[in-house]
Order: sequence, then C-alpha cells, then structure tokens
Amino acid sequence: MSNSILYIEDNPDNMTLVQRALEARGYHLLKAVNGLDGVSTAENEEVDLILLDINLPDIDGYEVARRLRSSSKRVLKSVPIIAITANALKGDAEKALEAGCDVYMSKPINIRELWARVEAFVPMP
Amino acid sequence: MTLSYLSHLECSGCGKEYSYKEIHTFCLDCQSPLLSIYDLKRTRQQVDRDEISRRRKGMWRWHELLPVKDLKNIVFLGEGDTALLQLPNLGDEFGLTNLFVKDESTNPTGSFKARGLAAAVSKAKELGIKKVIIPTAGNAGGAMAAYAARAKIQALIYMPKDTPRANIEESRMAGAEVILVDGLISDAAGMAGEKARAEGWFDLSTFKEPYRTEGKKIMGYELAEAFDWTLPDVIIYPTGGGTGLVGMWKAFAELEELGWLENTRRPRMVAVQTEGCAPVVKAFENGALFCDFWINAHTIASGLRVPKSFADALILEDLRVSNGIAVAVSDDSILEAQGQLGRHEGIFPAPEGAATFAALKILLQQKWLDPEERIVLFNTGSGLKYLE
Repeated sequence: MSNSILYIEDNPDNMTLVQRALEARGYHLLKAVNGLDGVSTAENEEVDLILLDINLPDIDGYEVARRLRSSSKRVLKSVPIIAITANALKGDAEKALEAGCDVYMSKPINIRELWARVEAFVPMP
Repeated sequence: MTLSYLSHLECSGCGKEYSYKEIHTFCLDCQSPLLSIYDLKRTRQQVDRDEISRRRKGMWRWHELLPVKDLKNIVFLGEGDTALLQLPNLGDEFGLTNLFVKDESTNPTGSFKARGLAAAVSKAKELGIKKVIIPTAGNAGGAMAAYAARAKIQALIYMPKDTPRANIEESRMAGAEVILVDGLISDAAGMAGEKARAEGWFDLSTFKEPYRTEGKKIMGYELAEAFDWTLPDVIIYPTGGGTGLVGMWKAFAELEELGWLENTRRPRMVAVQTEGCAPVVKAFENGALFCDFWINAHTIASGLRVPKSFADALILEDLRVSNGIAVAVSDDSILEAQGQLGRHEGIFPAPEGAATFAALKILLQQKWLDPEERIVLFNTGSGLKYLE
C-alpha cells in the first residue's frame, strides 16, 4: 500500500485544508481539480482511497464514481471512495452510495472525522 | 460590575483559541465546533450562587456565565426558568418515586430553542451583525425570527416544506423571510450555508456559531439550583442537533469547577432519537466516534429529523463519559407517550418531548433505571405547535 489518497475537489480552500490534514498524518495526497482529471489520475496512478467532491465543474461526483467503478483498471472497482459535498440536498447521500461511493460526508469537513474515516480504509503510515 | 466572565473561545476538537471580540463560526483548522470558555476562577471568587437565586427570574440572571459583555445587547423575551414538574401519576404507575419533567414549552415561541437563540442573537447584536440566517426543522427558526425582530436584525430562514405550519407562520409574523425547502434540515443547511457564503449572512446553524450552546446550558444550571445544588441521576433528552445535551454537560463541568455543587455526582445522560432517524444511537452502539449520515430520515418528531449533527463527536463523548446511553423509539410509541402525558399529568408535549417518556419505558424494561433515581425528562416544546 502506497498511502496515496486522491482528492478530487475544485475548491482550493478545501484542498489546502485536507492536504494539510492528511500530510500531517503521513499520507501522500494526489490532487485533481475536476471530475475528468480525477478519473484520469485514478486510472494512471496508484491510489489507495479517493475523496470525491460531488459538485465539480465538469462532470459531477456521481458520474465520476460511476466511471471509476466501471473502469477497465480493475482495482478501481473496489478502491474506497468517500463522497463529500457542501450541499446535502435531498437524496445526495443515497445517490452517492448508489453511484458506488462507500461513505458520505457533508461539509464542513471535520478533520478529526476525516482522519477516522480515512484510517478505517488506509492505516496511518 | 462584570456582566460576563467570558474569557475566550476554544475549539472542541483541537483546542485552538479564538477571541470572543471577533466574529467566529467554527474552528478554521479542524472544523469542529467552538465552545465558550469563562474565567471560572474569578467567577468563583466574585459571584455568589445564592445571590443569583435571588435575582429576577429568567435566563439572564446567570449573565456572568453567558457570553454578552454589555447589558444593552441582551435581547430578552422572558426565556428561561421553566418549570421542573414532578410527575406523580405516571411515577406511581411505573413505580418511580422521583420522576420529573423540565417543561420547556413555556419559553418564548413555545420551545427550548428560545434559550439558544436568545444567547446567539444577543451576541450577534454585540458583534454588530446585521443579518442572520438559519436552517431549521421548525422551532429554531421561529425563535430566531422573534429574537432578531427584537434586536432589529434581518432574518432569513430555510425550513423543510413539511415543517409544522405554526413554525412557518410565527417566523413570518416576526418579519423573517422564510424559504421552504423540498427536503430535510440537512438540505436546508446546505442551501443556507451557500446563501451565507455568497451574501454575507451570519449563519446561526446548530454548533456553527459558538453561543447557542451557552443559552441551552442554562437548563443545567437551573436543574442544579432546583435540586438544591445537586444534580439528578438521569437526564433523558431528545437529541437532534444535540445543543442542549452538550450544553448541559458543559454546565455541569462549570458548576463543579465553580464549587457550586454539594457533591460531584453527575447524571447519566440519555440521548433519545427515533427509529426513523437514529444516527447517534447507531454510532453509540457501534462504539464509533462520529455518526454516519442517516439515509432517508423520517419521523413525526421534526426536531429529531437530523441526519447528522455537526457536534456528533461531542454528543457521543458526553454520553460515554456520563455512562449514559442512546435510545431509539418508534413514532407510534411517541404518540402513545404524548397521550399518556396528557391524560395522566395534564401536559401536552411536543413529539420530541413525548419521545423521552417513550424512551423511559424502554429503559425500565431493560432495568437500566433504578426506580428511586431522580429522573428528569425534557419536554422541549409545546404540542400546540404540531396540530396538523
């Protein structure tokens, strides 16, 4: 396990917050600022877990999750995906889980909860 | 005279300190709720608990332990000092010698939400905030509207469209703009948060500002005073956002540090949720530190339809430290409990309040309660607000 976590997020403030939090715990963060870039990074890099914002500027997080789960890179069928969204709109959580995400979190991202959720899938290095 | 001994704000997650002189929401570093910290050493030296008991009734007689620094900023509508009623008839029926209800329905706007919003709006006024926004399951919106009107602060409220009509009408009557949302309070929270960020509204969401907890904590001070400066053995509390539970537990710690308690015994805290939305119960039973977002939340107790509290870690910690428990009750049992409280004790509780009596019956079956313990149920609001 490489301890690599991919965060697909277009908001730079959230990206900085999560990067600081995860790197402080020894994880290696890969970054993607839109959905297509995220899918591409996941397919080309070794990734142990994906943090996925739902509201992305190109394809939304649900579509990203669906593409990852149907990717020809077999490991992406089972890599853990944690969905994160600012707008906990009706059915968002259900849709995220149906699209293939494993866990749903709403913003603001509580860093202690994030650490706990990440560590449940990827032990701290 | 020192009106308030508020010293600073502190992150409940990482301990980072913030000044009370500035506007804050939650911790910038770890995004956990902020709590108000008081100079309790100085309070202990300079404030006499018995002198507080002689003051004019109301929440603000505890002003040294509330966050407002200037008297002119206190927005008071009569909140606090609600009745602690013994329940002799139901006590007899269930073999309980010391069963009580703290009846919060007599607060302004008919619910316990008045306490938290009185503190939050007062502090917002002190900080020069001109417009406030809130997502609500109902009662918090009505309370915010009332206090904002009194404080001459603009109010905007997001509520689920199936919120009880009384909440919608009372908010509009107090001059607030009300936006009805096709969804749950979590949906309303997402929209209110976005609006706040885009247009500079100050968000009074549960635990996303530090002061609602302070108003709610006074319920704990009132209990201590009512029990002659001791605490009950068990508190059974309906838990949506959890401000009251966290606030009271904070109050008990402050009371102990102030030296105002006659002994160090603290209550076992019971969080009550419904089977249709029980994230705290599930996390408590699984030994988790945080709640999972509850999918497809549904219950007649709209105040308990909270899929995940922003303060879930604090709620769970307080339950465990108190040797408490979390209980889920059915909607049917809430309706039955509502009828029993009415027929036997003359109390018409909100569904959330009735849920605590339904939970009591479960805990008795489980022999989790001792019949002689001092047990306090919380009725958080009036049943009159839920007539449809």
